[in-house]
Amino acid sequence: MPWWHELIAAGAVPAAFTPPPTTPGTDGAGGTEHADLVEDAELEAHPLPGRSVARLPEAVSFLAGIERWSVVAYDGVVQVVNAYVAAAIRRRDERGLLRTTRERHRGFAIAPLERMKPGLRQRLELAAPDLESIGPELVDQPSRYLDQVEGTVRRARGAIERELAEQWITAARAEEWLVLDGLLSRSPAVARHPRALGVIKSHGAQFLEGRGLERALTLPPGNRTSVFAVRGGHTRTEVYSWYLRLWPWEGNDLLYGLLRVEARSDPETTARATELSGWLWAERAPLATPATRWDRLLYPLHNVEEYLKALAPRDIELRRVSRLPKTGT
Amino acid sequence: MIARSDNAAIPIGRVVATELKPSTPHQFHFWTATDTPIGIGAIVKVAGERVVYGVVTDGVAYSDLATPLHDVVGADGDPTRATEAPTVRQEIRYWSAAVLRQMPEEPLQPVPLAQVYVADDADVAQALRMDAFLHSATPTAIPVGLYTSAGRDAPVYLDADFLLGPEAAHLNISGVSGLATKTSAVEFLLGSLFAHFPAHKGRIAAVCFNVKGPDLCFLDQAGDLSDEDRQRYERLAVPSTPFERVRYYAPLKADGVNLNTLRTHPDLVGDVEPLTWGLQEVVDFAEVLLNRDDIDAKADAFIDFLRDRVLGRTFDDGFGTTHRVQTFADLDRLFRSIFDGLEITAGGRSDTWRTHHIATMRKVRNRLLNISIRCKGLVTDDGPSSDLPWKEFTDRTVYVIDIANVDPLGQDLVFARVVSMLREQLERRELGVDAIVVFVDELNKYAPGDGSETYVKKMLLDISERGRYLGLVLFGAEQFRSQVHRRVVGNAGTQLFGRMDMDELATPGYQVLSPATKSKLATLPIGELMVRHPHFTQPIFLRFPKPPVLRGRDGVERFPPAADVPFEEAVVRQLVRLDRRVRPNQVKDLIADREPDDVRRALAAARRTRPDDVLAYFRKVLGSRVTSDASLAREHQPVPPLNPMSDEPY
Repeated sequence: MPWWHELIAAGAVPAAFTPPPTTPGTDGAGGTEHADLVEDAELEAHPLPGRSVARLPEAVSFLAGIERWSVVAYDGVVQVVNAYVAAAIRRRDERGLLRTTRERHRGFAIAPLERMKPGLRQRLELAAPDLESIGPELVDQPSRYLDQVEGTVRRARGAIERELAEQWITAARAEEWLVLDGLLSRSPAVARHPRALGVIKSHGAQFLEGRGLERALTLPPGNRTSVFAVRGGHTRTEVYSWYLRLWPWEGNDLLYGLLRVEARSDPETTARATELSGWLWAERAPLATPATRWDRLLYPLHNVEEYLKALAPRDIELRRVSRLPKTGT
Repeated sequence: MIARSDNAAIPIGRVVATELKPSTPHQFHFWTATDTPIGIGAIVKVAGERVVYGVVTDGVAYSDLATPLHDVVGADGDPTRATEAPTVRQEIRYWSAAVLRQMPEEPLQPVPLAQVYVADDADVAQALRMDAFLHSATPTAIPVGLYTSAGRDAPVYLDADFLLGPEAAHLNISGVSGLATKTSAVEFLLGSLFAHFPAHKGRIAAVCFNVKGPDLCFLDQAGDLSDEDRQRYERLAVPSTPFERVRYYAPLKADGVNLNTLRTHPDLVGDVEPLTWGLQEVVDFAEVLLNRDDIDAKADAFIDFLRDRVLGRTFDDGFGTTHRVQTFADLDRLFRSIFDGLEITAGGRSDTWRTHHIATMRKVRNRLLNISIRCKGLVTDDGPSSDLPWKEFTDRTVYVIDIANVDPLGQDLVFARVVSMLREQLERRELGVDAIVVFVDELNKYAPGDGSETYVKKMLLDISERGRYLGLVLFGAEQFRSQVHRRVVGNAGTQLFGRMDMDELATPGYQVLSPATKSKLATLPIGELMVRHPHFTQPIFLRFPKPPVLRGRDGVERFPPAADVPFEEAVVRQLVRLDRRVRPNQVKDLIADREPDDVRRALAAARRTRPDDVLAYFRKVLGSRVTSDASLAREHQPVPPLNPMSDEPY
């Protein structure tokens, strides 16, 4: 009998999952961040009403984005990248079908122009309709250079997502909600909107510690934590946030089915946290399969991603795959 | 007749092709929205670098659900909560279509990946290649129904050259019984044919064999039509009125005076002509009466001998008696004379007469005389015949022969003789019309795929294979197409299918149909059918209006058959119908002391002759015949026993 079975027999919770390392940047910076409780004296678990009594807004839109990039050429050790980012808002109609209302995409080249040979640089500037130059400092460290590229692409994606969200604010119907895939706090206008929610699946940033942290990470399904305030900074606006568990974590890992929700920093948010959590909990069906993170991915956001993937240029999809010919048979 | 839709065409789908499911020159796939009007059988148009018309043959729907288990998980294992999901999964309606036509036709290429549109009326005409015979200098289009898929209402036409010859011919219709498709479709199509048969092709008539119940007994009576059906008639430019000219023929019952049909209501029975045949009419088709075991060279030779040397001639039997055989009674006398002669004159030492063995003669005698007993009323023992108006068939007339209540052997005889006569007279161009449609129901019975080679089956095969050159067109119907002789159904240029039995659809003949098409055929509603026609490269689903005639069972309710009347009364009625001046009492006095057979004979003569003074003619025929017959003493001696040396079982 493996040694950990004795541990489980002694009261430990079984687990069977190795979570991938969280990519920094998707949930703000990694590490611990400061948060202030705005509900309860200490962080508590709040059970949600049953799914069948959840109050769903009649009008709701979902915003998500995708990013693709690949190295398409070398100038010596300089890696020239072709990138594509896209974002869309899809509104759910009265029949539950999602229809695209807004959409943006950007295809662009990324290269450290200062380090390129003049001839190639000139050709690149003429050929690429959209070119983003990055600093030459990491060119000689290819792996770190690619991290830099990834960050650039992610920022580009965040920019068009923010742009779409701000457009939505100006044209949103009365009582219409917006659910964003990711941080709400990137755009001040969106972060302050009374009917916008950010749903974060990655938990690189840690806002709690001690007993509060344990309560949050061992939250039972159908429960939320107390609301806490995530402080603003020069790149983000203060928002209220809480954790929500969609699926039981026992047998998987601590982050399984765990969402962090962001909403505007307002007492009403605290007052409606249970109602809003009940809505999001109801959104766990249908399952967002076959996405690997279906336990945390709401189906409508998955649907927006699939929509964007269908429109994305196919040549970029081939990055990091074998050069062997691929057939459909 | 063909209208181009005014609405700007809005695409309803798009052709998609993958390596696994590519577009080919004969098939393509497309997707539509989930609330599309498209369904199995819908005709669509692909408008790309070339225009392609196709008919939807299959469809699938699926969502992005990776496995059914995920739906269970999403509903927490509770089916009642499965509908609580606020978002509907992404779904696809993915259709397969068979190509009907490509324009341009050459070079033949795979279907382009382009937008898909619902076909309008003009597209349907193009797709089904109807433009060639619809808009030519000599149009030959016969409306067969409305294409109603995808919310359309487009008329569909058959090409008369391929329905009635000479290019192809014949129509076969299959379907389960009782769903008002087979008979109704033929009734509608005959009306359409009569309305649209091209003038340059001459005159046309139809002969319908009513083989069950009152199905075809009220073709001249108006039935109830809904407004929807009237609109369909208007759309098809076919009059929604019953047939103007219908002539009914039915055998008499065994009493020789009452008609053996369900159309005996006093208001209608006047239109029914008796169908009675004598020896001369029957003997030419004696083969029909012989079963498989009977067919041999000896019987054939003896029948030929009778036909060539005996019937209608003065004939010496070799035993001192001269015969003139014109009726079954005369024939019976001849046989008795021969048998007596062999037994008495030859002393029972000879088994043969004029090279024919006595057993062969007994067999032929039994078969021939048996028909006059089994089909008494159709076959008269010794009276004159009453027949169809040979050489005087009239244009756009339906001739209904009601043999529903006739012995099966008699049905075979009627069918064989009528069709043979039609063929002969069409060959000589003396029938009176240029084309004749023969409608035969229950082909399963008359031309089965297995079983013995009967005379009727051979005749149906002959019509199927040669009829189109003559203008003799078979409209056949059956419940199980798979059980009809392959050459009979195979030679039908046009094939209609009503609702089909699933077991029937599982037979090899339906392998070319997609599973979805088979499912649709198995659930086809009343009034819809699937049609295959030489111009249509794929089967097409159609709706046809209810025929404007009274259905059989409704007709029987509205015109209940009259009860049989006594012999004297029946004779009176028939004579009064011929001449309203005839007084019943006069007739009754006249026939009071007469033999019934003599009365029947005189009545048949009056019916056939239709003299100006019916009663005088009847009296004359009755009187002279009685006198004439009285001079011939009838012998009623028993037939002597068979020669004990013979091992023949007759």
